[in-house]
Amino acid sequence: MTLATLTKPWAAFSYGFLDASAKREMRRKMLKAIAVPGCQMPYASREVPMARGWGTGGLQVTLTLLKPSSSVKVIDQGADDSVNAASIRSFLSKVSGAAETWDTQAATLIQSRHRIPEERLRADQVLVLQVPNPEPLRPVEPNMSVARQMHADADYGRLWLILYEQMVRSGRIMEGAAYPALVNRRHVMTPSPIPRWDVPKLHMAEHLTFLSAGREKRLYAVPPFTQVEPLVFSDVPYQVEDHGALRCHRSGVTGYYMNEIPQDNGGSVFELSDSNLGIKAIRRAEGAQVEIGPTWYENGKMPQ
Amino acid sequence: MAYVATRGGERAIAQSERLYRAELGQIDAARVDTLRKTLPMLIDRVMGEASLYEPDLAALALAQAGGDLYEAVLLLRAWRTTQPRLSIAEPVLQDRLFTHRRISAAFKDIPGGQILGPSLDYAHRLLATDVLRGRPFTPAPVDPAPTPAPACQPSLAAWQKAHGLVADPAPVEVAPDDIPDLTREPLLFPAKRAHTLQSLARADTGGMLALGYSAMRGYGSAHPTVNELRLAEAEVRVRHPRGTVFSAGRVKVSQAEVTSKGKSGLLELGFCATLGWNEVKVISGATLDLNARGAAKGSPVEEEFFLYHTEPVEASGFCIHFKLPHYVTFQSSLDALRGAKAAPAPTKPEQVPA
Repeated sequence: MTLATLTKPWAAFSYGFLDASAKREMRRKMLKAIAVPGCQMPYASREVPMARGWGTGGLQVTLTLLKPSSSVKVIDQGADDSVNAASIRSFLSKVSGAAETWDTQAATLIQSRHRIPEERLRADQVLVLQVPNPEPLRPVEPNMSVARQMHADADYGRLWLILYEQMVRSGRIMEGAAYPALVNRRHVMTPSPIPRWDVPKLHMAEHLTFLSAGREKRLYAVPPFTQVEPLVFSDVPYQVEDHGALRCHRSGVTGYYMNEIPQDNGGSVFELSDSNLGIKAIRRAEGAQVEIGPTWYENGKMPQ
Repeated sequence: MAYVATRGGERAIAQSERLYRAELGQIDAARVDTLRKTLPMLIDRVMGEASLYEPDLAALALAQAGGDLYEAVLLLRAWRTTQPRLSIAEPVLQDRLFTHRRISAAFKDIPGGQILGPSLDYAHRLLATDVLRGRPFTPAPVDPAPTPAPACQPSLAAWQKAHGLVADPAPVEVAPDDIPDLTREPLLFPAKRAHTLQSLARADTGGMLALGYSAMRGYGSAHPTVNELRLAEAEVRVRHPRGTVFSAGRVKVSQAEVTSKGKSGLLELGFCATLGWNEVKVISGATLDLNARGAAKGSPVEEEFFLYHTEPVEASGFCIHFKLPHYVTFQSSLDALRGAKAAPAPTKPEQVPA
């Protein structure tokens, strides 16, 4: 027996870029995150060949989950062809041999920045959300060690207070994206800067969601069939963006989250934010055989 | 398929990268070699922030990034993190450093002597414009001292400790293999001492200067006196699997120890060391370290504040990420804004009779 027979042939990088010790730490922290839904787990967060703040947290989770048989979809703002999504997707397939896809239905693994696809995710799919700031308490407590103590004490009073103050000042809750939500009735998490439209999709979902912030070195999870409740007062219902009646000027589809495109004439047109859903709708209208899966929203409304 | 035609996606990013690289031209070994030889201070700064001592790779990273320091540091960090940790070197001791420069502002003269070493501190900062007119600048030769300074110097703090002048917290005994490693563990607060020092060692020079300077100007309570500043070479002593300890080579290191009188009535010390020679960084870092004890939450001299905000890869990455599209979140805010405009004005509180 020689040393050579005991070792693998030399390779410039490990499979899936991250080395075995990094992946082991990731697996442990990801399992821990599943065990305590919504609770932020600190992790080492290795440097990856992309700048911090560009999806490095999501990337480390995705790289840990990837295998050659995976089919990976990457979106930014809902679009597969957005420049950074394209860059991440090509890196993922290059280092793992996984197939690339734009189709939500065909993907086994979806890494996303700021959106959850409109088609319902299944139990055999994993969603990885990129998170810039994992701390829902940041607006009331920028110090991370103090905020950590507040989570331990379930001390969320000041978070309720800012929602109340918004109502007093503006007549409504003014939170835009990244609306704080209570997970499994214990930890408040930020669902990452997804629009309010997308937060109800996480509630009692069939799929597993990981949320990972590479720069801030924290990851957390929403396991399947877990309660995710946006913070609301009992007499003030949760309000998603008023997009239910908007119509996509390209595909003609209505009832989903839209991008507003300002026009020269002073008005606006709207287009579907979930770009692949738009493509599928157009192709179907052109007569192609395209399968569009069931969507979370029906006729612009989230069924209760 | 008109839906996607307006976005360039893959082609756009490929061409954008080509455009950038076209400006830099061909990168060859000669260019890397020239950078390494002619810009030692820059190479040192990059190696320190990357926490990777490899001048050739640092020069390569600078060449590849066209001199963008944050890009160069990221290139090196991303390479470094894939490398296995083969061995942990023995601790470097002050009095074993091969010292090139060692000064103290605390005393006129110190045991072992003040050694100026290489420095521009007292140079007149005049541009050698003749160089551009074809007359090369040739530095005057150094006249060696009649008696060379000893290679190793004692630590000044050791003298102060012997005189009972310095607050001397008991060292925490850690086996070399158990030293916490910031590159393999998250930084949490209150930070382990090893994490603090490692974090300072790889901090961004400019960021550290900004926060350190704010402390020096008065946003910190302790005014630093440079107890000892050293530029040195350290022997990297590692244990061979057979048990023999051998030197794997030397690395340039810089360290600063600053001091001020603490509340205890004793001198307190702040410390910072880094790979490579970088005086501004270690003096700033040591000043922050000195001020960190008991600092108020959220003040610039609080450990959590300055360590998080001087991490070059994290800070620069997050800064440039704002170039990424944010139109989904912006749309969400617009919706709330329009909703508030449309909503009836908040009801006025009822008038309570006086």
